[in-house]
Amino acid sequence: MSLLLQGTATDWVFSVRALLPVVLLALTGLVVFGINSLRPDGRDNKLLALTSIAGTLSALGVAIWYLLAGTGQPTHGGAISLFSGAIIVDGLGLFFTAIFTSVATLVIAASYDYFETDANPASFYSLLLLATTAMGLMAVSNSLATVFVSLEMASLPSYALVAYLKDNRGSVEAGLKYFLIGAVSSAVLAFGISLVYAATGSLLLPDIAAQIGSVGDLNGVLGVGIVMVAGGVAFKTASVPFHFWAPEAYEGAPAPVSAFLSSASKAAGFAVGFRVFATAFQPALDIGIDWGLLFGILAVVTMVLGNFAAATQTEVKRMLAYSSIGHAGYALIGLAAITAGASATNATVMGAAMAHLFVYGFMNTGAFLFIAMVERWGVGRTFEDYAGLAERAPMASLAMAVFMFSLAGLPLFGGFLSKYVLFLGAINAGFWWLAAVGAVTSALSLFYYSRVVKALWLEDATTDLDAIGDAPTGLYAAVIVAGVVTVLLLPGFGPVIETAEAAAAALFA
Amino acid sequence: MVPPEYYLVLSAAIFCIGLFGILTRRNALYFLMSAELMLNAAVINLVAFSFQWGNLTGQTFALFVIALAAAEVAVGIGIVLVLYRNFGEIDVLNADSMRW
Amino acid sequence: MVSASAYVPAIVLLPFVSFIVALFGRDNLPKRGAYGGIAATAGSLALSLWVLVSVRNGAAFQETYYTWATGVGSQPWGLTFGALIDPLSALMLVIVSLVAMLVHIFSLGYMNDEDERDLPRYYAGLGLFTASMLGFVIADNLLMAFMFFELVGLCSYLLIGFHFREPGPPSAAKKAFLVTRFGDYFFLVGVVAVFTTFGTAAFAGTESFPALAEAALNGEATVWTPGGLEVSTWFTIVGLLILGGVIGKSAQFPLHTWLPDAMEGPTPVSALIHAATMVAAGVYLVARMYGFYVLSPTTMAIIAFVGGFTALFAATMGVVKRELKQVLAYSTISQYGYMMLALGSGGYVAAVFHLTTHAFFKALLFLGAGSVIIAMHHNEDMWDMGGLKDKMPVTYWTFLAGSLALAGIFPFAGFWSKDEILYEALIHGLDEPLILGAYVMGLLAVPVTAFYTFRMVFLTFHGEPRSSLARDPHPVRWNVKGPLSVLGVLAVVTGGINMVPVQKVLGIEGIDYLHLWLDNHWGGIEGLSSHHYAELNPYSSQYLFGGEVSTVLAGAAVSLGLALGGLALAWALYNVADPAEHTDKLGGLKALLYNNYYQDEFQVWVADNTRAVAGSADTFDQGVIDGVVNGVSSVSLLSSERIRRIQSGVVSNYALLLTLGLTTLLVVFGLIGGWF
Repeated sequence: MSLLLQGTATDWVFSVRALLPVVLLALTGLVVFGINSLRPDGRDNKLLALTSIAGTLSALGVAIWYLLAGTGQPTHGGAISLFSGAIIVDGLGLFFTAIFTSVATLVIAASYDYFETDANPASFYSLLLLATTAMGLMAVSNSLATVFVSLEMASLPSYALVAYLKDNRGSVEAGLKYFLIGAVSSAVLAFGISLVYAATGSLLLPDIAAQIGSVGDLNGVLGVGIVMVAGGVAFKTASVPFHFWAPEAYEGAPAPVSAFLSSASKAAGFAVGFRVFATAFQPALDIGIDWGLLFGILAVVTMVLGNFAAATQTEVKRMLAYSSIGHAGYALIGLAAITAGASATNATVMGAAMAHLFVYGFMNTGAFLFIAMVERWGVGRTFEDYAGLAERAPMASLAMAVFMFSLAGLPLFGGFLSKYVLFLGAINAGFWWLAAVGAVTSALSLFYYSRVVKALWLEDATTDLDAIGDAPTGLYAAVIVAGVVTVLLLPGFGPVIETAEAAAAALFA
Repeated sequence: MVPPEYYLVLSAAIFCIGLFGILTRRNALYFLMSAELMLNAAVINLVAFSFQWGNLTGQTFALFVIALAAAEVAVGIGIVLVLYRNFGEIDVLNADSMRW
Repeated sequence: MVSASAYVPAIVLLPFVSFIVALFGRDNLPKRGAYGGIAATAGSLALSLWVLVSVRNGAAFQETYYTWATGVGSQPWGLTFGALIDPLSALMLVIVSLVAMLVHIFSLGYMNDEDERDLPRYYAGLGLFTASMLGFVIADNLLMAFMFFELVGLCSYLLIGFHFREPGPPSAAKKAFLVTRFGDYFFLVGVVAVFTTFGTAAFAGTESFPALAEAALNGEATVWTPGGLEVSTWFTIVGLLILGGVIGKSAQFPLHTWLPDAMEGPTPVSALIHAATMVAAGVYLVARMYGFYVLSPTTMAIIAFVGGFTALFAATMGVVKRELKQVLAYSTISQYGYMMLALGSGGYVAAVFHLTTHAFFKALLFLGAGSVIIAMHHNEDMWDMGGLKDKMPVTYWTFLAGSLALAGIFPFAGFWSKDEILYEALIHGLDEPLILGAYVMGLLAVPVTAFYTFRMVFLTFHGEPRSSLARDPHPVRWNVKGPLSVLGVLAVVTGGINMVPVQKVLGIEGIDYLHLWLDNHWGGIEGLSSHHYAELNPYSSQYLFGGEVSTVLAGAAVSLGLALGGLALAWALYNVADPAEHTDKLGGLKALLYNNYYQDEFQVWVADNTRAVAGSADTFDQGVIDGVVNGVSSVSLLSSERIRRIQSGVVSNYALLLTLGLTTLLVVFGLIGGWF
């Protein structure tokens, strides 16, 4: 460990060790490729799934180990800068890596059953692993160049994953829409980055921050660039007005993919947004580029649009898609409540948003995986079709009730504390209006979340549920684990929020 | 030497042409091309200001952008292919079964 | 050594666990939940005794376990759960857990042996009831107390309505719930008022609300009052608001009407409600926050007068009842009236003393009645009994001990505590007409109590059997006799914990253990001692016949004489082989007493005549409140329908909207930031 605790170093062994979670993910992706190319006709679903899970779990383990050991954190020599500062390993990066790998583990476990009959599951697992690798890179990117590259690296496998069911019109349509909006958004992001480069002459985040004070007449160019970079972040996090892909992509994609995108991919977008705006663009607040207000407006519109549009959906999956947009709005508060110079409150509110994304990673993934299970059973998609499922699958339905109430922010579950801390942080930072909108929309969200619980537990079955006999091991295990973690995050919220706030504080130090 | 503003105007113009294409074209391939055009607008900026600032960062990044654009097209073409297989055409407006 | 304080939460949690186990274990449990409940309450009792001993060794404490909400602002309030363990609560913990354990054991005989159905539900209810009451006892702040107070109310609802398939119990349960809730509304307003006034609801410490109130009255602190009201007036109002809850729960006039109906519940539940939990909760609350009540002479006088009046009023109704449990129900109301009288007239220790002795002898009487009811195959009419003395000796002798205690006959427990109450009321009442009036009513209730108690004893156990059931009673087992014996002994000897009259007359120092105990003689919490309360209370002491000793003797003689008089009358009328109903001699009074002074009818009349008010409130609720709520929801759903239409399904539209959104942002922020 001692090697890792030092500051800069150039040899590649050191770099690999510092980036070990990402490297492990990439290697696992390649191993899965390798297995498939050695036995192109063998459908080694179990072997592939186990290999993938081993990879994500070991990456998760390393990320947590580093977090606990203090690697890259102020207590142990500060952030580790690699590749001339293009990559930086610190608490924020490790924290988000833990989120991605947890979600990926759950999703892979679920996919084992979901793609049981698939012709070639190897491509699915490797796409998922490579996307996770790219997300891990997004979280440690310290240069706009690596940000763009890793973001694209995460997006491209995601498009393919959404359109993975090649013969399913919904999946293909979803993939198309996701891809087209993604292409436009990445072009906007690239253009924004080029404008920031034009104004400051650098792509490294700390250098940009240093240059912002002397942009002079080019502050307009910088401003447009920053708004466009914000657009790129908004695309990845599914925030208004770059959210249009999300409802369709989540609805049409295979449910495990929806789970992965709405939890991990969204968190990755926030990882980039938090680091870029906190590190590079904070000085821009002083020269008339008020991106805090920008994110404030986006947060309000996103919360309102996501939650309101979710309220009258007829299909559970699409409702969850919109609720996922609403949650992006909550997490945006972490960026919106940043004010120039107020390091302490900035760190608190951003840490709260990170903690919320952590909790959200489990409860939202679990909810989508429950839907994956329902899809596998062949039950319909609407609220009516879900009626009476609790009689057939009480444990899973109980877990789903936990996810719904936790997403709504009812006390008893992890989602309550994270939302509460987030809103409290916003109030303390002086942004009571963000907290107020968040509270009102949360109240509304209880309405549509409880519709699911009501259908599951209180209504009588409308359709024939005899098909539900089997309990797919992997899916069930993933749902139950997510449920248990969601419950445990209520008493165990302390360490999460402390880690998150320490990581955020290092960014503002 | 050409003043930097000119490059900005050029790249903005190309960006807008690409955007216009995206807003008006129904064929998925045109849609792809327009997106590429928008990326190239960014490339122009990067190269031009790399020269302006006297460092190679922009030029190097431009190469990355070009490579990623190619990768994006590869994935995009794949999606267009399955679109054709499922919908029988590549009109992006026809895939509208999911809405609201 | 491990300190007892660490286990205080376990006292509450053990019965709660038994509740959970009974709830989920259903019919798979041994004895269907009974053993779990007995084990849990026995554990609570053991821990309570340990706590009692550690408090005796000076380990009283207050601790906050969990802050579940903190406010924002410069002086945030914290809403907390915590424990306040001082002599008072330690004593109460022992009483509650002891009675609860005995009731659980008794239930084996009363419920299991009688093959009642749904027993897990019954034991779950008992467990939660006990846990709620124990939580209430350890509460260190008013809000926590309120929450557990409500839980106690809920449990009483569940248990009184246990036999919900019959017509009576559900209606009685609803009545109990609604009437006590009516009082609790005032309590809730009072809790809010306490928070608003003091910013805290803690019972103990220098920052507690009684301490702040005291400081405010001395002008050493400022507190919020509505509209610049006089501080003392406002404290009286707050005290009366909280008293609303007390009057409801402790069944004081005029909210006592639920209690006799609550006899519909299983008899062990009645024992628990009357002796240790629900009804005791009200009196305990006043004792708990006595430091606040003593500051307001008006409230004190009202408490005393209501108590005295209730004592007499309820006793007279007990005289004519035919059913065994009905008599006991009215005696409960009457006895809690005595405790309120004691509290109101400054006899803090006397009230706690009577609370303790009453818990034992009333639990005993109810369990004895339960035993008789088992024997009589659930016939409760005393006129069908008679002659049970020889057939169930254990029940008879223990019941007799309880009756002697209830009637206040020397030297049984009730004599000492009741005598001290009357003595306190007398010496403090000589200058205060209201207290003196309450004293007189309390004194008049003594012979009535003795009369109805022994009317009950003679009708039930003496004379010739008056029905075939009474000639051949159903035998009862150890699980009935055991609890009766324990309580019987306690009913005889509990008076010994507080021999104040003996101390005063004979001059033996140090045998007034309860006085010393509550006076923090062995340690306690600053500001919660009886001594402190005595300094604060508004009364002066006056003695008759020139001295303390003669007053003590005279008071004791008068009350004992009256009690013996009542007993003698009952003896003359009912201790005969074939007693007759003498109630007809009462004439018109009989109907009045039978119908409980038409209290129920009066309340129905009040309800009917306030229907217009309720109607308009309902209209307001339906029209305005619900209108707003429904309006908000339909506007939300309507806008939801509109908002989701943005997602048209056509990807070009998305690109257009995205572009428009981005352009708008660029233009707006460009203009704000002056980029152009």
